[in-house]
Amino acid sequence: MERDERLAAYVDGELDAADRVAFESELASDPELRGRVERQLTLRRRLQAAFQPVLDEPVPLQLTLAAQPANARARGWRAPHWAAMAACLAAGVLVGRGLLTERGPLVARDGGLVARGELAGALEERLAADGPAPIRVGLSFRDAKGRYCRTFQSAPDQLAGVACRESAGWRAQALAAWSPGPEGRYRQAGSDTPAPVLSAVDELIAGPPLDAAAERAARDRRWK
Amino acid sequence: MDPIQRQIVDLLPRLRRLARVLAGQPADADDLVQQTVERALAARGQWRPGTRLDSWMFRIMKNAWIDETRVRRRRGAVLAPEEEGENVGGASARAAEARLEAAEVERAIARLPQEQRLAVALVLVEGLSYKEAAEVLGVPQGTLTSRLGRGRQALLAELEGG
Repeated sequence: MERDERLAAYVDGELDAADRVAFESELASDPELRGRVERQLTLRRRLQAAFQPVLDEPVPLQLTLAAQPANARARGWRAPHWAAMAACLAAGVLVGRGLLTERGPLVARDGGLVARGELAGALEERLAADGPAPIRVGLSFRDAKGRYCRTFQSAPDQLAGVACRESAGWRAQALAAWSPGPEGRYRQAGSDTPAPVLSAVDELIAGPPLDAAAERAARDRRWK
Repeated sequence: MDPIQRQIVDLLPRLRRLARVLAGQPADADDLVQQTVERALAARGQWRPGTRLDSWMFRIMKNAWIDETRVRRRRGAVLAPEEEGENVGGASARAAEARLEAAEVERAIARLPQEQRLAVALVLVEGLSYKEAAEVLGVPQGTLTSRLGRGRQALLAELEGG
């Protein structure tokens, strides 16, 4: 093996035990070789460090949806949204968890649940790119009726869901219990958005999700 | 959700990282991940259970990326690394510094020829063995190591030069 290749194989952990021992004894007596190994190790570290943060970014919901297309459909299950919501979070649970109290994030109106308070504010105002916040908005898109819909994750309410904008406000289409990861950090959005919410998005979405510019424009038009 | 979909969801962070090394810009990288996932699901019958799903998907991503670059070249699109410096306003000085350092590395990688970039991405960033990386790329191991060696030299010249 050529000298450079051996050096690379050493740095990449590709030498077998005997070759590694031989190489290390050369290293011990050759400062110039040690310097070259150090340069390669530094390069490896810089490359790793540059891309490591990508692993900790929340995965865009679109990608998660692409990975599990219509999994509800695959089972032939097309429940109306209310049934889906009831299945994952019974009304009693909503009440029991205080989500429907005066200070809760949702209020019953017109046979549905409409966001209020801070949740309503977040859905109305926040952009996906706004960064960490107790209530985070994820994907924004339009449904077949032309309504704007947005997914959200609320740490204070331990609730995730998708809501669509109607004249009465942001009406919940699906809700599921959700909690932020350990140490209060949001876990990967991809594996983290509860399945009932993903299914509802999958069922509602018409066309591609809004990109950052379209999201901002829709927000500035008050989602009309 | 069926098991392969679950596994793909779990792989998404790594697929996004590999795509970022290959495609550079975050939006392009996520488009590449999306294409990869769609192709993988369409061809799921070809994946043999018991073999590594990550290697299989990396291969699909490699092919998707090569196809995409060909299309772009035909359209005459210029792939310039994005201007950096956005969104660092609120970050701490240390985070901003890390961001600049990462941007420098990204620019150096973006200048590598396709084949060297693939070798560097799989072995040095993704941590695959030579054997695994050669399999993903469908080339003999010797070809992989020579591409990797040239990629390393180019990166060192670029990064140590400044």
